[in-house]
This record gives sequence, structure tokens and C-alpha cells, in this order.
Amino acid sequence: MSVVDDMKFYFFHHNHYAEVPKDHERYDATWVIPPAGELFDAEKAHNFYRHHLRMFKLADDLGFDGLCLNEHHNTVYSMTPAVSVMASAVSQVTSRAKIMVAGVPINLTTPNRLAEEYAMLDCISGGRMEFAFPLGTGMEYWSNNGQINPTSSRARFRESLDVLLKAWTTEEPMSYDGDFYNFRYLNPWPKPYQKPYPKLFVVGSGSMETVEVALDFDMGYSLVFVPIPVQLKAFARIREMAEQKGKTVTPDDLIIVVIAYVADTDEEAMREARPYIEKFWSWFHRVPPKFLLPPGYVSTSEFLRRASDAALAHGTEATFEDMVDISRTIIGSPDTVADTIAQWAEEADCSRINVVLEHADMPEWMTVKNMTLFANEVIPRIRAKGTKATVTESRELAAVGS
Amino acid sequence: MAGYTEERYDVNGIDTAVFTAGEGPPLVYFHGAGTLTGFDKLLPLSERFRLIVPNHPGYGASADDPSIDSIQDYVNHYLDLFDQLGVDELTLVGLSMGGYLAATFGIQQTHRVQQLVLCCPIGLRVPEHPITDIFTVPDEQLLGYLAVDLSCFDDCVPMPPTPEFLAERYREQTSTARVFWNRVYDPKLPKWLHRLTMPTLLLWGEQDRLVPVQQAAVWAEHIPSATIRTLPNVGHLLFEETPDATGAILEFAGQGVAV
Repeated sequence: MSVVDDMKFYFFHHNHYAEVPKDHERYDATWVIPPAGELFDAEKAHNFYRHHLRMFKLADDLGFDGLCLNEHHNTVYSMTPAVSVMASAVSQVTSRAKIMVAGVPINLTTPNRLAEEYAMLDCISGGRMEFAFPLGTGMEYWSNNGQINPTSSRARFRESLDVLLKAWTTEEPMSYDGDFYNFRYLNPWPKPYQKPYPKLFVVGSGSMETVEVALDFDMGYSLVFVPIPVQLKAFARIREMAEQKGKTVTPDDLIIVVIAYVADTDEEAMREARPYIEKFWSWFHRVPPKFLLPPGYVSTSEFLRRASDAALAHGTEATFEDMVDISRTIIGSPDTVADTIAQWAEEADCSRINVVLEHADMPEWMTVKNMTLFANEVIPRIRAKGTKATVTESRELAAVGS
Repeated sequence: MAGYTEERYDVNGIDTAVFTAGEGPPLVYFHGAGTLTGFDKLLPLSERFRLIVPNHPGYGASADDPSIDSIQDYVNHYLDLFDQLGVDELTLVGLSMGGYLAATFGIQQTHRVQQLVLCCPIGLRVPEHPITDIFTVPDEQLLGYLAVDLSCFDDCVPMPPTPEFLAERYREQTSTARVFWNRVYDPKLPKWLHRLTMPTLLLWGEQDRLVPVQQAAVWAEHIPSATIRTLPNVGHLLFEETPDATGAILEFAGQGVAV
């Protein structure tokens, strides 16, 4: 029995404001402080939303197991600062795939309201939802300082998850008395469609704290863009900690994020994708270091660890090759991409892949081509590596590959 | 002029560092949101006073306590510490965040605070002359916001900054953010400033880029007993920039107390 037997492929879409200005060098940041007067156009925004919804629909039609979308604030990176609104629209243009919202930073809202919002989505979609809870990047704390304090973010995160789960699973109105929240009548209406509730994950960057939250609340664990060794260490840590707590972590509880571009040959793929993936890192990740770590977002010792690590301290100066090396970025032919992803999944003992297929401001036809090749050429090749794959399937694939 | 003696107190579980120098009536100094430059420039005050400089929880040589997350927590912390120190009546001096804290302490302990010196305090909302949001100042510009003459940082800022130095600044910023992340003032403070009936000096650097000197007049409107003294060509860290800062305090407070 191999991990690739039960692989799930989620189309992870960033919903960029997908335009890179010609004079992009003069902007210091595309997070927190991008000047909307210069960079935002409502008519273009409307068209971007239509485009993004088309891509979700296509992914559903192409047979991806799931669709994944997330939330960021004050940034060209993401046009979904209220991600549940987008998820609701996605649920109406698709019919089959799971929809993973990954997710509203629960600290930015009140947990009872999020319990309502997510239960609504689950009922609207007929039980297609999954949710992943992020602590929120450092940038979200700069963009929303009136609501949240980074120095208490982790404690509030824990309590908020506790409120949300209790709100979903308690049959009667209940009161809740916490350090951050006090509810007289916690009784969200509706409750989730899936019982007791949809599959849940914590989104983390590999810190001990988020790993522990995932285990304590019996959630899966999803990683953001951190170097591969950090990811593997985090997965090892969660399995080790699970064992201590007498819990089990299955390959279905872990998610890795993969950046992929597929073309007929490795050379063609690299030629087509490279300019866009470069822009993905240089424009859509343009974050002054100060915004990454607002005061108290990490402990002083964690800050010291990062400040002492040259690669972490100067991450924004990394080259394209550096980024490809440390992240799960795979650009190549269907064979190359399938082999690499299958290997990563086996290494990490993880059966869930969130794959990013639209990069920066790449034209829609390229995204469509990439998605189509991934769905029709890469996914079957990976599935064929499993012990469940039939001989017939393997033959067909061999024919396709020749 | 002798240096400081460091004493340590367990204040309700917080290992608290207190630096003292000199003999005489107690003068307590509440520092601002950082201990970068140390406190040697305050030592002239020890010629007339028992100078007491505690490090706030989460700053300098004192331990962290994440549960200290409001101005009232600081006031209560110092009520505890002063009990241990045997300090009852006192002259209270505070700079920046320490000035806000000193004003709040004075509002609540009106009869204990004999004389009050507020050095470029934060705490007041003055829309026409707002306090610079220190959290948004780029790291490389920060020193320029603190002082006019940057040579005062020569001995305390390593170039380039070491990871340990940056981590200690991050620690102090974290302590500051626990109270001030959302905003650095209390809209209701003016309502209670009338309780500051003790002799009060508002001491300000005229080139302060963090808390504009124009705010001095607004504080004075709300504190009938206040006098204003401004120091020319001086920024926010006024003790680092001129000996006239301690001189002004001695002139104001040194006469009023029995030695």
C-alpha cells in the first residue's frame, strides 16, 4: 500500500490582482501598503474575479479532488480578503469538488461568527467544504491592528478554535467564558451539513506551537511556503508529538503545497513558466521584513533564531534557483512533474497535494493549458504509481508517454 | 558622582531590576519604551535625590511577564514595588511611555506624588500634532526619530546590528506592543488630568520627532499646575542630548524637597 494510492489533488488558487506594473521596481511593498490609487482598477478587478471563478469551474470540470482558496489583506497577492464570499461564489459555479477555505484568520473575526459563516457554506454547498485555520501572516496584523494584537495572537487563536468547535458540536445553546471571549448564548444557526463537522486543518509554518494546536484540536496540518527541510521537520515533529499524545496522524491529515507548471518537455515548461514564477516571488511576495514579524508575533528566542539564520534573514534576496531549490516548485514535462510530486509525497508520507497552477500574471490560456495538462497527464501518471493502479491503466499511460 | 547599584526584587513573581544611586528623598524615573541608551545621563539627579530607576517588566534587566498588558497593570506593579522599596511620597519623573505611566500613577496616587515631571509623554490624542506611530518607522530611520545628534548611540548600537541586539529590541517592542499596539494614547485621559494638582513640569525637546513639542501646551491646558520647559535643538531622548534636561529637573524639583 503506497501513499499515492489515496492521493488527493487540490487546485490551490491565489486569486491574485494579476497585474504587474511595468515600473514595478519603484514599489517597496505589495503587502500592507500597496497604493491602490496607482495600482487598483475596479473594472480590472471585476474581470479578475470572473477569471478566477472560471478557473475554479474548470478545475471542477477537470476532475480535481478539491479547490482551495485563502485569505490575505491589503495586498495584490489576494483578491479575497473576505474569502467566504468568494467560496460562496465558487460553490455556485462548481458541483463536485471539495472546497477548502484556508482560510479566514479566526483572530480577525469573532469565532461564533465564523462558526456561522462556515456552517452556511457547508449547507449551501451540500457538504463540500473543508476548512484550514491560519494564525494569519504577520502582515495581517499590520493591516488589522485595531482588531488584533500580535502579542496575544497565539493564545487568542487557541481559544477561538475552542469556541468554534464547541459552537458546532453542542446541541443546546451554551455559555462560554474564556480569556478573550464571553458568550451568553452560543448557538450558531445553521450548523454544519457534514457531521460532526467538515475536515479541518491548521495552517502553519512549522512552528512547535501550530503543530501542537493541530494535534490538540484533532485537526490536520497544512504548511505554507517554507523550505522543504522545514516542512519535513514539521511533519516529523507532528508525528512524534502525536505518538506522545496517543494520537495518529494519517497521510490524509497532512498537506503539502506544490507550485507546478507542465508542458510537453522540460525545456518548454521552463521557458514558458520561468518569467511568471519569477514575478510570483518578486512582485507578489514583496514584503519588507518588518511586516513579516510584528512585535510579539513570535517569541524573542524564535526571533533570534531567524535573525541568526542568514537564509531566513535575507530571504527576499533569494534567486530564482534558490527559491526552486528550497520550495516545492516543479517545472517540466508530465513525467518530470509526476515523478517529483510522487517522490515528495512519499518522502513526506502525505497524500494531500495543494497544487498552484496559475502563476503571477500569466495569461488565462497558459493557466488553462497548465491545468489541463496537470489533470490529464500528471495526475494519472502519479496514480499509476500506486499499488491499486491496474495494468490496463499503466499501459494506456505508457502509450500516452511515448 | 557615583554610579548605580543594581538591586533585584521579586514583584508579584516578576524578577525586577532596580538601579539606585545617591541619598535623599526618593525620585523615581519611569523609562520609555526602550532601554537602549542606559540611564547614566540621569545620574546628576542623584546629587539631590535617592534616584531609583526600575526596569519595566519586559525591558532591560527585568524579566518578561506577558500578563502585564495595560497601563493599569504597570500602575499596580509599581504599587507593589514601592511597597517593597519603602517608598511612600516621591518625586516622579517619566519619559515618553514612562511619562504616560507617571501621569496615570499621579492621577491615582495624587497625594503621594509630591512633584511630577512629564518628559515628552505619550498618552494624549492631539489630532493636529499626532504622535509618530513608532511601530511604522522603518528600522533604519528609527534612531533619527529618537535624537537630533546621533552620536549618542555610538556606544550602544553595534554596526552592523548583531542578531542578539535585534532580538533584544524585538523583545522590548513586544512588551510595548502588549499595551500600545492598537494606539499610543487614551482618548479619555484628558478627563482625569485635572487630578494632577501637584507641581508639574512638562519638559520637552523642541526637535522631538516622535511626540511633537506642540503637545506640551495641550497637556498644560488640562493640568492647571503645570509649567512648560522646552529645550532647543533636542529630540525625544532629551537626557541623552543635553545635561540641561537633568538641570531643568533639579531646578524645578530640587528646591522643593528637604535634603
